[in-house]
Amino acid sequence: MIRFEKVNKWFGKHHVLQDIDFHVAAGDVAVICGPSGSGKSTLIRCINRLEPIQSGDIVVDGMSLTDKKTNITRLRAEVGFVFQQFNLYPHMTALENVTLAPLKVRKMNQNEADELGRELLEKVGIQEKASAYPAQLSGGQQQRVAIARGLAMRPKIMLFDEPTSALDPEMINEVLDVMRKLAFEGMTMAVVTHEMGFAREVANNMVFMDEGKIIETGDPERFYTHPENERTRLFLSKILSH
Amino acid sequence: MLSTFNFRVIWDYMGLFLQGLWATAWISAIGLTGALSVGIIACMMRISGKKFLSAPAIAYIELIRSTPLLVQLYFFYFGLPSLGIRFTEYQTGIFALSLNSGAYMAEILRAGVQSIPGGQVEAGIAFGLNYLQRLRYIILPQAIGVTIPPMLGQTIVLVKDSALLSLISVFELTRASQILTSERFMPAEGFLTVAVFYLLLYYILKSLSGWWQRRLIHRQA
Repeated sequence: MIRFEKVNKWFGKHHVLQDIDFHVAAGDVAVICGPSGSGKSTLIRCINRLEPIQSGDIVVDGMSLTDKKTNITRLRAEVGFVFQQFNLYPHMTALENVTLAPLKVRKMNQNEADELGRELLEKVGIQEKASAYPAQLSGGQQQRVAIARGLAMRPKIMLFDEPTSALDPEMINEVLDVMRKLAFEGMTMAVVTHEMGFAREVANNMVFMDEGKIIETGDPERFYTHPENERTRLFLSKILSH
Repeated sequence: MLSTFNFRVIWDYMGLFLQGLWATAWISAIGLTGALSVGIIACMMRISGKKFLSAPAIAYIELIRSTPLLVQLYFFYFGLPSLGIRFTEYQTGIFALSLNSGAYMAEILRAGVQSIPGGQVEAGIAFGLNYLQRLRYIILPQAIGVTIPPMLGQTIVLVKDSALLSLISVFELTRASQILTSERFMPAEGFLTVAVFYLLLYYILKSLSGWWQRRLIHRQA
């Protein structure tokens, strides 16, 4: 579903992604972790070309990102994105946030879009907040609206960029619950997170990144209990010690 | 001073003043519409990231902001006819006013656009909204919201600047008191009355600005 082939990316002189080969099969959940600045956010931001790559190729649902014939808008419609900072539109209600893209990109009519929007808000458990503005919602609720918005184009793939890092601890679970539900429904997901419980439960594949390279991949149980690489071990000891 | 003031003459000329007030109001209204249109276009060109669009927009904004309105007004009034382009005084005046205020509007709008977090624009990109859709549904509604108060401030400047149009023989509020001055030679009475009317217009716009800001705060609360 998502395939990275020898991907390289630079920010100026900084080589942020170095020869990345990486694959997520349909229905799989890949969890990407690593120290800050390791390139993990950049990695998933490349998947829907929020960041351009300089060499190599990324193929998403059979569409190559470097192929000039690829319709990037169509590709983006197949990929939902959830940001660390939610990035909801503050001048729109929760429902309007969800229905904007279906209305304007899919050209759905208002009734269809509202129905879809309510269905998705119900799925993330906040149907009663449909007419609330983002500022009236808690962080956890905002992020759930953002997930509903990410699902609004009926994507085949969902990308999550540290979806719980900006949340107060007591709100993390309500967001993870929604993500678990999606994973169990068979959504293909790539998630940047350090939430170990979540990773152990739903990930098919763990990816550890450091300094722009993929250092280690593996199934989560082995990854957490017997990491092979010294850097992985060091990193895990830091995040698991508390 | 009050004893030497001739209030009667003000009353005699009230019809003329009200006509002037009306003229100032509609000239400003059309000028404002023009300024907003020009301002939105210039702002969009300036932030487009494409040099062939941003360069002319920057040149326009800088040129307007670095020269006095009176010079611009005279330039259009005397310069355009010599190029064979003929407008009435009203058209020339409103054109100059729109072009002048448009440059300031463009910069106010640009500040508003830049106040919107980049993440929201990214979210728009990620869901497949194109540039114009992002502008229309995400950026402009918010940018206009936060820029309404400074724009009303600029509108007040525009209303006051419209007084300069009297210098190219456009009839408006200031012109009304010039007429009174030349007919009766009572400049103090005339210009005081005009000042009071400008004050009135100012308070109307200012209370609009206050109302909008309360509405904005209410909506975001």
